[in-house]
Amino acid sequence: MMQLSRLASFGLSALTALVFVLLYGPLLVPIASSFFEIARGDVQWTSPSLSAYVALTRNQGIITAFLNTLIVGFTATFLAVLLGILFAIHYRNGATFGRDLMQFVIFLPFLMPPIMIGLSLLIFFRETDVPRSLLTVIIGHTVFVLALAYRTIVVRLQSLSVSYIEASYDLGASSWQTFFYVVLPNLKSALIGAAILCFALSFDETMISLLVTGTDNTLPIRLWAMMRLGFTPDINALVALILAFTTLMCVLAVRYLLPKDAEGT
Amino acid sequence: MLFVGDRQAKGWRIAISVLAYGLPFLFIVAPLLSFLTYSFFWVEGGQMHYDLTWRNYSRFFTDAIFIPVLWQTCLLCLAVAVLAALLGYPVAFRLATLSGRRKYILLMLVLVPLLMSYIIKIYAIRSILGGNGFLNRFLVWANLIDQPLTLFVFNLNAVLLTLTVLLIPFAILPIFLSLERIPKNLIEASTDLGASNWQTFCRVILPLSLPGVVTAASFVFVLAIGDFLTPQMVGGPNGFTFGRIIYSQFGAAFNWPFGAALSVILALVMSVVIALGRRFERQT
Repeated sequence: MMQLSRLASFGLSALTALVFVLLYGPLLVPIASSFFEIARGDVQWTSPSLSAYVALTRNQGIITAFLNTLIVGFTATFLAVLLGILFAIHYRNGATFGRDLMQFVIFLPFLMPPIMIGLSLLIFFRETDVPRSLLTVIIGHTVFVLALAYRTIVVRLQSLSVSYIEASYDLGASSWQTFFYVVLPNLKSALIGAAILCFALSFDETMISLLVTGTDNTLPIRLWAMMRLGFTPDINALVALILAFTTLMCVLAVRYLLPKDAEGT
Repeated sequence: MLFVGDRQAKGWRIAISVLAYGLPFLFIVAPLLSFLTYSFFWVEGGQMHYDLTWRNYSRFFTDAIFIPVLWQTCLLCLAVAVLAALLGYPVAFRLATLSGRRKYILLMLVLVPLLMSYIIKIYAIRSILGGNGFLNRFLVWANLIDQPLTLFVFNLNAVLLTLTVLLIPFAILPIFLSLERIPKNLIEASTDLGASNWQTFCRVILPLSLPGVVTAASFVFVLAIGDFLTPQMVGGPNGFTFGRIIYSQFGAAFNWPFGAALSVILALVMSVVIALGRRFERQT
């Protein structure tokens, strides 16, 4: 991009900072509150403690919900990325039959209100006698995040020059060798990006889960139910832990993506 | 291309084709069709009737509540989309002007809030906007107001603010991508021809990034209008949106077919918005 004047650069940074305050400010409230006890709806700022974190380890319901969320998130992300690669290759292969229509179908769950895709699946599962469980939640999440995975992967695949693949074939590689040694390495950062986004969406997906889940709670559903009864400090502690976890994940992703992509830009 | 013209991989190619057509049909098209069919069934006295009728749709048009609420919700979501795009643009621009490590760190910082639980964010924002929240305490402390305002919670203002904060990252990414796609030599050409930074921005960068802005705004609009959790949590009794009406059909009102019909109408509205967005995108 262009060289900015000092004033423009400062203005941009200030606006960016403002947006970051909007994005992160709200998150700081539960984190700060997690170290203090709450009495009569007011935070007791004078006496910091870790009791909320201790209470968290005893709350079996939240731990189960958290594990369920992880199971759903990882499975749905894995499936979505796998299917994303599959669909991207399928359409890049020159499969023109119904291509625009099928792409539209893949994007539908992402574009439609989640309440609608959730209801569709709910009615579909009911009519086909599939009992509601974590499996149905996984299917719901996969359908939901697939568009994102597919889009990220197909864009990267399209920017990959055909000559790489032709060169690979000319040098005697099979299709699978070409896939593993040429296509996949070039897709690597797109795949990681897609996976992070998919996991993020699945992790806090509430609307679809709320409709298609059976007795198994994921974390957002559990929280949704608890919020009606009012929050407890251990929820705040959980928020703090989740933020730490996700920040760690992002740092890892940055470190992993950086060496290859950052150079020359 | 891959797997094409490779005899040994022919089986794989067929398998990929079968999956590529079969899976979306089974898990997306079939549920949607059953959903659409449901919107033509009807309920009376808690009893489902499995015969096709238009009565759900005619109720939407004849009952005086639904159309005004839908219109109000559309205006609200439009405001959210515009606000999010306005706030997202400078961040996307800043991102595009950075390079190397700093760019990726900032990009990650934009993405981290997306990883956070939606529910928690709504709760946190509510606790800031509320009567006893941080915003009011700050305003009182700064002597700007005498006593806490109830302007920001349990009404449509609260829904507007909360949705905007929640959806900004979704606005930043498409704008950032469109800025990244602008060829460097166009900007260099503009500078070489003597344009100032401001001229380059107005004449070259802004027009070329507009498709991204439109994508961002339609993204945000669609996400906002489909949300029923936010209005449910911060809207209070006055912040009634169309999404909440739909949700209530599956809860308290227990009229699945009518809820399905309202969702179909919502989907039509969204399709129109997306079509308009795409049309604009192609023209620019």
